[in-house]
Amino acid sequence: METFSLDCIELQNYQPNRYPFLMIDHVDAVCPGKFARGYKHLTLNEWYFPIHFPGAPNMPGALQLEALAQMLTVAITTLPGLKGMVTHALQHTVRFRKEVLPGKTFVIETEVISWKRGICKGKGIGFTDGEVACEADMLITIPEILEQYLPKKNS
Amino acid sequence: MSNKEKYDNVFIECFGVTSDVLNEKFIYQCVPTWDSVGHMGMIAALEDAFGIMMETDDIIDFGSYTIGIEKLRKYGVDVLA
Repeated sequence: METFSLDCIELQNYQPNRYPFLMIDHVDAVCPGKFARGYKHLTLNEWYFPIHFPGAPNMPGALQLEALAQMLTVAITTLPGLKGMVTHALQHTVRFRKEVLPGKTFVIETEVISWKRGICKGKGIGFTDGEVACEADMLITIPEILEQYLPKKNS
Repeated sequence: MSNKEKYDNVFIECFGVTSDVLNEKFIYQCVPTWDSVGHMGMIAALEDAFGIMMETDDIIDFGSYTIGIEKLRKYGVDVLA
């Protein structure tokens, strides 16, 4: 399948999160169902830096993981027929390796391991200055699709 | 390994149960691990174990351990043989 990029406006067709929770600025390359990679520029103006923490600002780990999950979502919602669909997290395992600081670019790379019946298994890595900041194994779902395959309760 | 052993092992591994609970009372959502995600994992594991690809209607109808045995017959898998 063809690879393409998404600017900050186009991205919003495939990623339902919005300010202040959209953790991606640009998608450099997405191959639907295979991978997505891009970045988030981090200025001191990000809403969380003044409070996490005063005098020692760094990007919360939960938001680093959110950025990875949002990028993995783009790798799925760019598949035919899935544009704009909402995804939910099912299970994430994450390892944090360094602080992510204001002034840096948080580079996000994600890969789809499997996509079947509304469940995506994938992995993601976040980088700053070319070094791994965090890495995660992720399980996300599009509930609207998953529910189509479920037995009726107590059948 | 017999088909019955393969079938039971999928349930044991996917849902973390013991073989003594695998009977007609073992149904969808009867244990916390047989939830929506567990269901998809179990179906995928059965497809791998028996080299089949199940149709959507059969995945939806697969509401219990015993119903599953009936469903697999359609794909040439006789669990009770």
